Amino acid sequence: MYTSPHAIFGYLFLTLTVRVLARRPGAQMTAFEFVLVFLIGGVIILSTVGDDPSMTNCFGAVLAIVLMHRLVTFFKVKSKRFSEIVDGRPVVLLKDGQWQSDLMAQLRLQDTDVMASARTKGIPKLKDIKYAILERNGAISILKDKK
Amino acid sequence: MAIKTQPVTDSVPKINDEVAVGEDLQFQRRWWAFERWIWMLFALLVLLDLLGAFGRGPLAKKHAEAADGSMKVDYERIERFSTPSILTVSFGKQAIRDGKIQLWVSESLVKKLGNQRIVPQPAASSIGNNGILYTFPASDVPATAEFALSPASPGSAELQMQVPGSSVITLKVFIVP
Repeated sequence: MYTSPHAIFGYLFLTLTVRVLARRPGAQMTAFEFVLVFLIGGVIILSTVGDDPSMTNCFGAVLAIVLMHRLVTFFKVKSKRFSEIVDGRPVVLLKDGQWQSDLMAQLRLQDTDVMASARTKGIPKLKDIKYAILERNGAISILKDKK
Repeated sequence: MAIKTQPVTDSVPKINDEVAVGEDLQFQRRWWAFERWIWMLFALLVLLDLLGAFGRGPLAKKHAEAADGSMKVDYERIERFSTPSILTVSFGKQAIRDGKIQLWVSESLVKKLGNQRIVPQPAASSIGNNGILYTFPASDVPATAEFALSPASPGSAELQMQVPGSSVITLKVFIVP
């Protein structure tokens, strides 16, 4: 009886927690952040399923979560504002050779995080980056300076 | 059937008029202000949890005594749904009559607080008067009985306990989900 409300509350609570935690868990997870995701997931499972591990109960929880996800996705497409709240907006971290320091500090990101992304694009030096953008999914996009 | 199409417009705001990013620093700063409030709320919730405002801590524990000293009860006034806890009843000397102690408890002990077992097991129990009357063999004080609870549903519960012929203790318990 309590499984569906627990699953729905768990979904909403986790969405809020992960959203305010920072955008990093979306991509570029370090081992330290990996632990966080596993731990939070495990704890929420305990309160959702409780002492009833029956298939009926677990299927009920899965269906409630899937339904919530579908609803959130539906409203994200319908409302730009809702989409911003759930997924955020891109943030420019580096522009024309200038770090956007206060934004980086707020996002708890370091130059090494940007450089890690740059290396995957074959860019070996920070000076070769024209723009570094933190995307909504947590990835850092790098645009090369063409000069 | 033809696929519905619409022309591409420059709908995503650009930086330096060259890269379409869609950055909105005004929204971002508002969100960060909201985040700060949420973190303060989380910190407050953790503090309240440590203190026991949501059960299992110093604020949750309570002690009650019958006016005539027939019994004392140590219990948790904030319980958690489906989580085990112990309610301890310590009887006074006047509760022992003819080598036994009788204790009447209202039916919320079972229905709302989900009593699982009693230690020691009562020699007899009988139902009636919206509750249960337990009988324990007893010789002398200190004499205590422990009730293992596991609340069956969230909400508030009122539990009444009485040694027949003595004053009633009313315990108010709130069960958090």
